[in-house]
Amino acid sequence: MSNMNVNVGFIGLGIMGKPMALNLIKGGYPLRVYGRRVESMAPLAAAGAHACASPEEVARAADMTFIMVSDTQDVEQVILGPKGVLSGAQPGAIVVDMSTISPVATRSLASRLMDHGVEMLDAPVSGGETGAVNGTLSLMVGGKPEVFTRVKPLFERLGKKIVHIGANGAGQAAKACNQIVASMTIEGVAEAFTFARRNGVDPGRVREALLGGFANSRILEVHGQRMLDRDFRPGFKVRLHQKDLRIVMETAHQMGIALPGSALVAQHLNALIGSGDGELDSSALVQVIERLNEGR
Amino acid sequence: MLTQVGFIGLGVMGKPMAMNLIKGGYSLRVYGRRKEAMAPLVEAGAVACGSAEEAARGCDVIFTMVTTTRDVQEVVLGERGVIAGARPGAIVVDMGTISPAATRAIAARLAEAGIEALDAPVSGGGIGAISGNLSIMVGGKPEIFEQVKPLFSCMGKNIVHIGPNSAGQVAKACNQMVMLIALQGLAEAFTFARRNGLDSARVYEALSGGAAQSRVLEVLGKRMVERNYDPGIEARLHYKDIQIVLDEAHTLGMALPGTALVMQMFNALIGRGGGNQDSSQLIEVIEAISKP
Repeated sequence: MSNMNVNVGFIGLGIMGKPMALNLIKGGYPLRVYGRRVESMAPLAAAGAHACASPEEVARAADMTFIMVSDTQDVEQVILGPKGVLSGAQPGAIVVDMSTISPVATRSLASRLMDHGVEMLDAPVSGGETGAVNGTLSLMVGGKPEVFTRVKPLFERLGKKIVHIGANGAGQAAKACNQIVASMTIEGVAEAFTFARRNGVDPGRVREALLGGFANSRILEVHGQRMLDRDFRPGFKVRLHQKDLRIVMETAHQMGIALPGSALVAQHLNALIGSGDGELDSSALVQVIERLNEGR
Repeated sequence: MLTQVGFIGLGVMGKPMAMNLIKGGYSLRVYGRRKEAMAPLVEAGAVACGSAEEAARGCDVIFTMVTTTRDVQEVVLGERGVIAGARPGAIVVDMGTISPAATRAIAARLAEAGIEALDAPVSGGGIGAISGNLSIMVGGKPEIFEQVKPLFSCMGKNIVHIGPNSAGQVAKACNQMVMLIALQGLAEAFTFARRNGLDSARVYEALSGGAAQSRVLEVLGKRMVERNYDPGIEARLHYKDIQIVLDEAHTLGMALPGTALVMQMFNALIGRGGGNQDSSQLIEVIEAISKP
């Protein structure tokens, strides 16, 4: 089947969605797009996409509809709301949600769609705006293997590392795991550097030494360097990190799972937001640890 | 003088509170979701109603005592809710523990209909509700508080007007933070004592006379010592309350690291199936972390 024969919908044309949609157009897929702000559709229309007035209209003629919006409520609204995807999608169509949302909500959305014969994949991404523009995102996918196989050629236009994790919700659960590990690693690097400084030790030398050992990680490398340079330009903003971690903590609460370490990091992110640092890179977390240790 | 009283929500807390109002000489219109919940009140002289709307009709003051923020929104603003039945000038008093932000929104909606609102969450549990010994933390206009005060006095002893609408809920959130972190301290201390081979009853006795003395120690500490987890206060209710506190902290952008940790311990307790047991069972989570 040539790419021209697959009708693709794309909803949500923000910082992430816009470059992702453009990469699908570059891949030769005819696109139907919808964005809440009308002006967000203009660059896509200029590249050949068909602008629609609602998610319903996108889904009506799409074999696959991608969604890339901010949070759980947005996804629910786009799919189940008035003029939503559910009212337009044909049986046999596939909805691919690439937003980062709750795994619990994802499972229930998938079953609502299945009631109408519509398939769903959850495929949250990691890699930020740069990854979206360059088509080098990491994708973590949940849903039926045969549905995954059908969508995979399109995923390959968006990212490099594409892993099918398991059933519906599994992609979101994997993304949550990604957040748990990343959050606590940032916290660890921030605490280690503060500890080093208070011992009169140059944290830059500590970083260098640690990069060769068991504490080596991409976060030590990248975020560690930003902490040393006091360069907190994003990167991944504190505000978004707080949002993603909240999904993790709410899911843990709903399911009765204790995540004491993540809970502490979430509080430190709260403190950063409250001190007006929400637009900084997550590596600014080091400032919270420093503030805790001020005054001696 | 407020004489005609509505009371909605007749659970573990609501039922004895409504009873105490009847004992105080007030005539009550009651509504509970479960019909059988209304029977003991009717026997004591209350009028049973078919909805929150009906219970509110003709009342000077309407109390609500239900579990979650959503329950209060439903009972007050929903279809056949209080707002549909209450007359302008009536006072709606929510005594449940819910979100401060939602409380402000509900008060604003009621104000549009000319209805006054107080938030008056309580502390003291089922025991305090039965004995009329609750602590009541009140938010709303001072003059409205004064009008309702005689009714509060039937239900509680320590009745404090904290500030405007939602101030009661904020104070209750503070109450829960202090109480639950103290509970965590007790669970850790008794686990520590036992692992050192001590008799926790003796430790309890010693602590009761010193700077670590508290009501939490007295009541929930005793349950830990006796390993008697009959509620009391069901863990699922505290678990709900901590979420309210941490949601607020998230919105405000402030760190509550201790409360956040206790919430995780409650998550574990709920995950172990302890939701309907007393919160003192938290000690078993602490014990499980470092099983010898």
